[in-house]
Amino acid sequence: MQSKIPFIARSTDDTVNVSRTHPLAELFWMLGGLVVLCGIIFIALGIITDLVVARVPVKVERALRGIALDQYGGERHPALNEIAGNLLAQVPRDSPLHDYEINVYLMENEEINAVALPGGNIVVFTGLVAQVESENELAMVLAHEMGHFSHRDHLRGLGRGLGLAVIVSLLFGPDSSASDLVSGSLLSFQAHYSQDQEADADRYGLDLLVRSYGHAGGSIDFFERLAAQHPDRLPYLFASHPHPDARIAALKERIDSYGYPSQETIPLDSALYDVR
Amino acid sequence: MGEFILQHSDFFIFIFFVALGYGAGSLMERNHYRSIRKREQALLSLPVTTTEHESFIGSEIGEATLVVGSVVVSIDYFKRLLAILRNIFGGAVTSYESLVDRARREAILRMKEAARQQGAALVINLRLETSAIGQQANRKRQVGSVEAIAYGTAIILPAAPGDDG
Repeated sequence: MQSKIPFIARSTDDTVNVSRTHPLAELFWMLGGLVVLCGIIFIALGIITDLVVARVPVKVERALRGIALDQYGGERHPALNEIAGNLLAQVPRDSPLHDYEINVYLMENEEINAVALPGGNIVVFTGLVAQVESENELAMVLAHEMGHFSHRDHLRGLGRGLGLAVIVSLLFGPDSSASDLVSGSLLSFQAHYSQDQEADADRYGLDLLVRSYGHAGGSIDFFERLAAQHPDRLPYLFASHPHPDARIAALKERIDSYGYPSQETIPLDSALYDVR
Repeated sequence: MGEFILQHSDFFIFIFFVALGYGAGSLMERNHYRSIRKREQALLSLPVTTTEHESFIGSEIGEATLVVGSVVVSIDYFKRLLAILRNIFGGAVTSYESLVDRARREAILRMKEAARQQGAALVINLRLETSAIGQQANRKRQVGSVEAIAYGTAIILPAAPGDDG
């Protein structure tokens, strides 16, 4: 005799195959985990970069010189090089700056900026020269850029930027929205780091200016003019440079604590007046 | 602010689709589950089994016929984002669980509805298959769909004299 299985109608249980976790809770846990993970990798890479940079000889960096300069271009400017040469003569003998071949280029660009490129090239934009009133101010800018060379900041920036690009594209692929999101948030950390570097370069620049000219006159004039043009502090939150007001305050504090005197500034060379 | 949005339009479009996916996706899912539960309750009296043998039915079989139910359910951006994050950390991809569950149950329901239309008393030999529509479903910037198909043998009992259906 065959056994008969009785059929009892039961409604399907909802719970077994679908997890009860709230999707938003899951999203926040995983996003949070990801941010922490990226942060740890980023900080570790930063520390490694800092350790490595100190050991990379200037000779290696000079190999990069041509590549970086090609992106900017501009003409080697004799009057600017003379100012830089005078500053360089005051740099202590044991400074790594002497391993560099410092060349100053002038580039047609309205932006008020100057950049230190790997290998010892400094590119000054015509927009910056147009804002400058005296030789001392220009010397302060060049001394600031030399500070970046002395601290090997451009190599650090290169290393960190490279590390960041590698993590982000490993995780999300080369150009996805998630990459933008992560690199954007990590770049704001980078901004704080680079603002510290700028402050260091300002201090170095001020000391060099005083050693070369014998006084601190002209060191803050340029920043005061910039500050008057940009009263709003908000855009500087994630900028690579601190707000001019913060730079002025830091410079004034150093001038006071070291008792640097202030004297008349030297007017700009006529060759530089023509640029304006 | 406006300028910032324009500069990062890619990112804001992405956020918009994720938010849309979450909002519209959970609304649809809630409605779908409500409908699934209601119809499951209505079709409770029509048994479905996976057995291949009709011998346990215990009565004469009038007719046997194939019944099929299938459905395609789409992934949304939000579920996909959760799945991508899961790809990094590992673990159960819970965001797809409800998707596949809905597709399976909907497919079985449609099959049962087909069986009821044929006047079947039960369905035996139930088989379920799932496939991804759009083989690129896991590639970048692609939102795929899941198809579930349920098929089985509907058993129609012979009409007894005096029985109305």
